[in-house]
Amino acid sequence: MSAVLQLVEVALAATRAYGRADLTGRLRRTRERLADPAVRVLVAGEFKQGKSSLVNALINAPVCPVDADVATAVPTVVRHAEAPGAVLVRQTEEGETVERIRVALEALPEVIKETRPGADPQRNHVEVGIPRELLAQGLTLVDTPGVGGLGSVHGASMMAALPGADAVLFVSDASQEYTATELEFLLQARNVCPTVACVLAKIDFYPEWRRIAELDRRHLAAAGVDAGLLPVSATLRLHAARTEDQALNAESGFPRLITHLRDEVLARAEELDRCSAVHDVLAVADQLTATMSAELAILRDPGRAQDLVAELERAERRADDLRQRSARWQQTLGDGITDLTADVDYDLRDRMRQIVRDAEKELDEVDPATVADQFATWLHQRLSAAATANFLWAGQRARWLAGRVAEHFAEDGRAILPELPGDARISLDDTLFELPRSERFGLGEKLMLGMRGGYGGALMFGMLGTLAGMALLNPISIAAGVLLGGKTVRDERKRLRLRRQMDAKNAVRRHVDDVIFQVGKESRDMLRRVQRELRDHFTSRAEELQRSLTESLSAARDAFRREESDRKQRIQDLQAELERVAKLAESARRLAEGEVTPG
Amino acid sequence: MNGTPSLGVSVRGLLRNAIEVYRDTPDVATTLRRHLDRMDEPLRVAIAGKVKSGKSTLLNALVGEEVAATDAAECTRVLTWYRDAMSPRVALHPVDGVPRQVPIHRRNGALHIDLQGASPEQLDRIVVDWPSQHLRALTLIDTPGIASLSTEVSARTTAFLTPEDEAATADAVVYLMRHLHGSDIGFLESFHDRGVAKANPVNAIAVLCRVDEVGGGRVDALLSARKIAQRYRTDPKLRGLCQTVVPVAGLLACTGRTLRQAEFIAIGQLATAPRADVERILLSVDRFVCSTEDLPASLTDLTVSPVDVRVGLLARLGLFGVRLAVTLVRQGHHQPARLAAELVRRSGLDDLRQVLSAQFTERADLLKARSALLALDVVLQRDPRPRTGPLAAEVERILAGAHEFAELRLLSSLRSGVLPLPPEAAAEAERLLGGSGRAPTARLGLERHDPDEIRRAGLDALGRWRRRAENPLSSRAVTDAARIVVRSCEGLLAETTAQS
Repeated sequence: MSAVLQLVEVALAATRAYGRADLTGRLRRTRERLADPAVRVLVAGEFKQGKSSLVNALINAPVCPVDADVATAVPTVVRHAEAPGAVLVRQTEEGETVERIRVALEALPEVIKETRPGADPQRNHVEVGIPRELLAQGLTLVDTPGVGGLGSVHGASMMAALPGADAVLFVSDASQEYTATELEFLLQARNVCPTVACVLAKIDFYPEWRRIAELDRRHLAAAGVDAGLLPVSATLRLHAARTEDQALNAESGFPRLITHLRDEVLARAEELDRCSAVHDVLAVADQLTATMSAELAILRDPGRAQDLVAELERAERRADDLRQRSARWQQTLGDGITDLTADVDYDLRDRMRQIVRDAEKELDEVDPATVADQFATWLHQRLSAAATANFLWAGQRARWLAGRVAEHFAEDGRAILPELPGDARISLDDTLFELPRSERFGLGEKLMLGMRGGYGGALMFGMLGTLAGMALLNPISIAAGVLLGGKTVRDERKRLRLRRQMDAKNAVRRHVDDVIFQVGKESRDMLRRVQRELRDHFTSRAEELQRSLTESLSAARDAFRREESDRKQRIQDLQAELERVAKLAESARRLAEGEVTPG
Repeated sequence: MNGTPSLGVSVRGLLRNAIEVYRDTPDVATTLRRHLDRMDEPLRVAIAGKVKSGKSTLLNALVGEEVAATDAAECTRVLTWYRDAMSPRVALHPVDGVPRQVPIHRRNGALHIDLQGASPEQLDRIVVDWPSQHLRALTLIDTPGIASLSTEVSARTTAFLTPEDEAATADAVVYLMRHLHGSDIGFLESFHDRGVAKANPVNAIAVLCRVDEVGGGRVDALLSARKIAQRYRTDPKLRGLCQTVVPVAGLLACTGRTLRQAEFIAIGQLATAPRADVERILLSVDRFVCSTEDLPASLTDLTVSPVDVRVGLLARLGLFGVRLAVTLVRQGHHQPARLAAELVRRSGLDDLRQVLSAQFTERADLLKARSALLALDVVLQRDPRPRTGPLAAEVERILAGAHEFAELRLLSSLRSGVLPLPPEAAAEAERLLGGSGRAPTARLGLERHDPDEIRRAGLDALGRWRRRAENPLSSRAVTDAARIVVRSCEGLLAETTAQS
């Protein structure tokens, strides 16, 4: 058991001993978080850049199928397990439920090939367990289907997965420098994900890889992306593993990548976990101390009892206020969410309006009949890119709002606290609060499904249908039309073309309206979830605080009524208890400073 | 056929009449005269594709000499024509002004064109006259790479949709595309040229390029590439855009056709050196170009021991090419000529040339006639005269009447999949219409040229399609299509009878 976990166990025992069920619940959640040390590392990049090879080479096992032609279609999650094995998670035929099928590792490539590409990634993926030291530390590697351009649907679902990831490994091969889309993806990734590292793959094959690496570094610097570039070769690594050639292994660049994963990604995640656990333990210790300190103060100095009780009563009332709707943090939260909803909606409409404008401009120059297919793809990609960008932006803003609320809560909390004698203080500095990293805050599953099925369908029947119908009026195919010429046909065609353009524009507007409707709903729902989550979190903090104050108050009253004979004993008891809690806090603090102490 | 003048003759006649009508407008007349001359010139084939897809390398491979400059960075920035001539000559054609000749330089065996201070924007094109038998049937046009769709949406649309206003510079296009996934936006980007050839599925073919890089340069890269090309061929999006997809390893082909003695010796020595040591340096590019001291002892006394020799070899063949060449020599390709031929064969260049010949060279007259009629149509529309009425009618008559055009039109609608024909019937119709070559054997899908067999298969197909044409249940579109196929069958039977 790790030192942090031990510390939390001790604190848990203490809260139980003092009968503080609320604090016990809080620490239990902390323990749950610690028990799941998974650090999700997303391996992202364009098609055929060697993402699967990279994962295989990292863990020295062929778990992700590599094919010269077929690209990875479903995400593969690779994590530690005592015995190797794989589970295919996929939607059943009806699409309602999810089934989990156990498969042997050797059969995996076949199974993955059969999976429908483009299916909903949250419900269709492969989980691979394999005993590896690197993974045992909590590293979870996620091999993803290629991005295929930020604007593509794949790209959008990839962006949606980003907020849930602890780190991103961005893979591109050494055949050419970063493209504009790749850089755009990196910029987005850096905004939503704490650690981004770039991997330059296939350096065994491209003689110019040093030049490409240099160009890429320059691109990164120019774009302001603070990410290291690690050149690697999976081929060399696998060859080195076969021949047990250490020098070759070093040449493959993988040792550096693994060091990076350990030192940057794993260590950072661990650090974050430790900090928040220590923070929780300290807060709990403070609350416990507060009650006992109040009692101790009165026992020691009964003359001041009246004042202290009065003060505690006031504080308790104010703590109650802190729970009420009228509290400042509640207002900040309420106003913040209202503003945010309006801003996000405006942002969405603005983006969509721009797309409609571009689409109309395009349609003015184009005959929709000739480009229907490409135009629909283009529109679809622009829309999903805009929706994703809007969503990510909303997420970022929500995070910022959470910080503000936490600040106000801490300030207000501090103001109401009575000046307690001794070292009692109640920590309210809750800025460490992070939005839960659950998928719930990603781009909604329903939305992604909608973009893929429903919207695509609307597009097909709404717009393409119009276009296709129009095209049928003109029995001459495009090429033949060019060949035919002829004035009458040309005039007729011009008239038809104008009509097609009008119809297409209307279809675009209708479609974008639908998208705004759906995406707007998803956005609002997401913000509401954030609001609820934040409100519940801080309300329970306020309740803890109030409970501490109530307990302090009754302890103080009890102390006041205590017999002289009891008093001495109680003082001794309290001092011993306080010392124990202080010791707990002390070891927590030491742990925060990086020293490992047995609990 | 059937006593009517051939398509080429009637188009030439029509152009001459038009020149007569526009005698008083010199520039129109000049344009038309140019098109008339073009009827006797080789077919113009443009090589298009995205930036860095290896257009110049492929061009060099097709010509068999390093005429186009290649570099790791973007390097072709002006349309460059390569045509056969008696003596080498390079001329710059500015956007406005008269063409001027520039001296010819050779740098490392490759042709180097000095723009003499002119910026690429000021130049309309560069024309390189080069004596080469490989340019005799086709004039090749190297184009600057197409930039990304996302940054140049407007350029795309203009290129896409101006087919009615301007005459085409090239008669056919070869599109280069790299290995991409079907849902990648880059997938179809390769197909937007700047309107150089008015491409449609009939005059375009796609080349899957840089295939030696597929799968990280494993030995089976070329096999995988064939599979990928096969998949692309059946992709409905691509079928509507080009005739076929051919995988070509441009670098391999180019070096195979220009293999030097010194290179052959170096490869030969690598092939006979201790295998383990050679495998070791062939593991990665860094190992291959390591300093002489780091070389395994058995390789230090060979021609490959200086670093620059190895760097040169890598630049010419790529790591995959070196691996392949060494393996080939080990397998017994001991003469330079045999090794070179095998490299070219494996590169897929021969297949490409066969396709070029079946799709373009055999159809040259038809494609040129099409270009000329398109151009004439534009002129007649822009500048109608009292006497142009009959000319326009004649253009219309040829376009609508000539069976060759009917075949082309039907081919392109078959490829776009609008005809309600069962798949095997559609495939047969495509073949009979000349989709995989205009020779009777290609049309009938026969292995060898045997008049009796051709007659039998031809009559067979004729009967089948006649029944389809007369079937009262067939839709109008199918009946019309079947009639055209019937006529193609009749034509090929008549041709065979005339020959025997």
